[in-house]
Amino acid sequence: MKYCDKCHVDVQTNQKYCPLCHQVLQGDNDETWIELYPKFIPLRREVLPLTKKIILFITIVAIAVLLAINLTAWEGKLWSLIPIGSILYVFMIVRYGVLSRQNIAFKLALLTTALILILNMIDQQFTEPEARGWAINYVTPLALLSCNVAISAIIWIRRINFRDYIFYLLTIMVFSLVPIILCLFNIVTVVWPSLAAFGLAIFILLIIVFFFPKSIKDEIKKRFHF
Amino acid sequence: MEHIRIANDWYRLDNAAKIFPAISTKKETNTFRVRVDLVDTIDMALLQQAVNLVLERYPMFKVRLKSGLFWNYLDYNERPFIVLPLPQRVCGSLSPKEHNGYLFQIYYWKKSIVLEMFHSLADGSGAFALIKSLVYEYLLLKGLKITPDNLILTRDSLPTVEEYEDSNLTYYDPHNHKHVPEKRAFLIKGTPISDGNIGLISATIATKDMMDLARANEASVTEYLTALMLYTIYITHIQYREHLKENKKPVKIFVPVNLRKQFPSKSLRNFTNFVKSGMVMNRSDISFDEILAETKKQFAYGLQKSELIRKMSENVSFEKNIFLRATPYFLKKFVLKIGYNMMGLLLNTLSFSNLGKIDFPESMQPHIDKISVGVYSGRFNTVNFGVVTYKDQFSMTFTRSIVETTIEREFFRHFTSKGIHMTLESNYVEEYR
Repeated sequence: MKYCDKCHVDVQTNQKYCPLCHQVLQGDNDETWIELYPKFIPLRREVLPLTKKIILFITIVAIAVLLAINLTAWEGKLWSLIPIGSILYVFMIVRYGVLSRQNIAFKLALLTTALILILNMIDQQFTEPEARGWAINYVTPLALLSCNVAISAIIWIRRINFRDYIFYLLTIMVFSLVPIILCLFNIVTVVWPSLAAFGLAIFILLIIVFFFPKSIKDEIKKRFHF
Repeated sequence: MEHIRIANDWYRLDNAAKIFPAISTKKETNTFRVRVDLVDTIDMALLQQAVNLVLERYPMFKVRLKSGLFWNYLDYNERPFIVLPLPQRVCGSLSPKEHNGYLFQIYYWKKSIVLEMFHSLADGSGAFALIKSLVYEYLLLKGLKITPDNLILTRDSLPTVEEYEDSNLTYYDPHNHKHVPEKRAFLIKGTPISDGNIGLISATIATKDMMDLARANEASVTEYLTALMLYTIYITHIQYREHLKENKKPVKIFVPVNLRKQFPSKSLRNFTNFVKSGMVMNRSDISFDEILAETKKQFAYGLQKSELIRKMSENVSFEKNIFLRATPYFLKKFVLKIGYNMMGLLLNTLSFSNLGKIDFPESMQPHIDKISVGVYSGRFNTVNFGVVTYKDQFSMTFTRSIVETTIEREFFRHFTSKGIHMTLESNYVEEYR
């Protein structure tokens, strides 16, 4: 116990100064005394934020360079959108797929959705008219189908966690309905991939409804309460 | 474990809790800490065991925060809870990555058990219920003969719906929710402590000295300390400087009120409201007695039941606003943030939480040395104050996010000048720069 004769207080410490007035305290250090608070260790620079910064920096510089080249040597097409889209996608994979600690169903759902959007953009903008439609006909339904299979498989294998994943599974299922609706409006011309995606989505939905009715009800209640 | 998992394993956030996830950042953490010093050194393995046992009794705390479309909610957390050694950072942000998603953390350090809790989960009463149960389980595991004496929630009882209900929704009055506009408060400015650290200075005096002092002035302890705080801010920051623009704003102390004393609620979640005591310090000859008289008046007014219900209903009606409710959460977040900055954060100079008297069963008292509490300090409320009474120890803790300790110094010197013996402790954040 030390004493500050300016503030007239006892101070429980082995430190030299009074916390209130910063005068030197009176009294000797007590060797048996254990400090009440841990010693401060200054923040070490963590690797992860630095990696993030470097990746972000490279991404932005690359995008700027591509745009600049594209615009200075203008040939009537914004071709730089293809590499920019790919770079952004790689950025998303690293940022949300690798570095993020979100659950894997979220990662799969997000990355699949982003991939579909980018490929459809490329398809619409840069494919010759006669070959157009590959993204919406084949890629979209089949990507949704594989995503559905992947999330279901993860739920199947790691049963304990299904409550966290079911929401993302439902989202992808709702997306799976989109190609089949587009089929009705003749925007999608090849029917079988859309039908397969739709069929699988309905199949999984029925399994959940029949075998885990409570979990799906709970999840909807939780996510949409207001 | 599995057998007491109740059917309802997710919880809506209570009225007060809804705002905190939207407004909390690394600097405005909205956490508070409760520290219990035992007589013996903590056995980390036993503490871990005790926590695991206690969490069975508190399913409403074994949760993590998840986002829905309209509101966040608390969902059952299946990941393990791990006790950690006490970090230097006081009331740091409870990042979900570091704590397996839990909104509170138990730390151990030599002889102390420290609980830090995010305000979305519970208020001081809930935190004390938890740490009392934890200390009880821990001492039992150590093989001591102790009894709960109806003061502690033990594992023999089951969690009830009253414990996790949102009492704000039970006791509010839909017809009494007038909004009373307020002026922005005087803010204490200072040099920020590096790396966002928080300095903590805690003083202990005898409970009897404090009681005598308050009684001599015919005030309650909270009233007396609030008035003293106003007076301290006045003499350290405002007196003879009244002409400065910033100093013309009212100094306002935010004092949380435990509504469980006013209403028959057993909730372990947020059920507090507040009384504000404030004053425009526009003269250079304001005396302590004058401030105390004013504070007593403001407390008498603020503690009326109708006034407490009005404030509670104001919050509830804000939450129940159909436009706010129908907004998706990612937009609502911004509304809440702006609303809180305008109507909450900048309206207080300082917050002063009096947790009251903490009772432990007589059989446990010899094993518990000391209790103290602390509240986070942020960018605007740079100094905060927490008070708790345990047996004959009256513990007062300042937390600050600025280097300067003027307020602490003058505040504590008020006691020592009256000849009251005082013991200080500090985390000496300024020594480690």
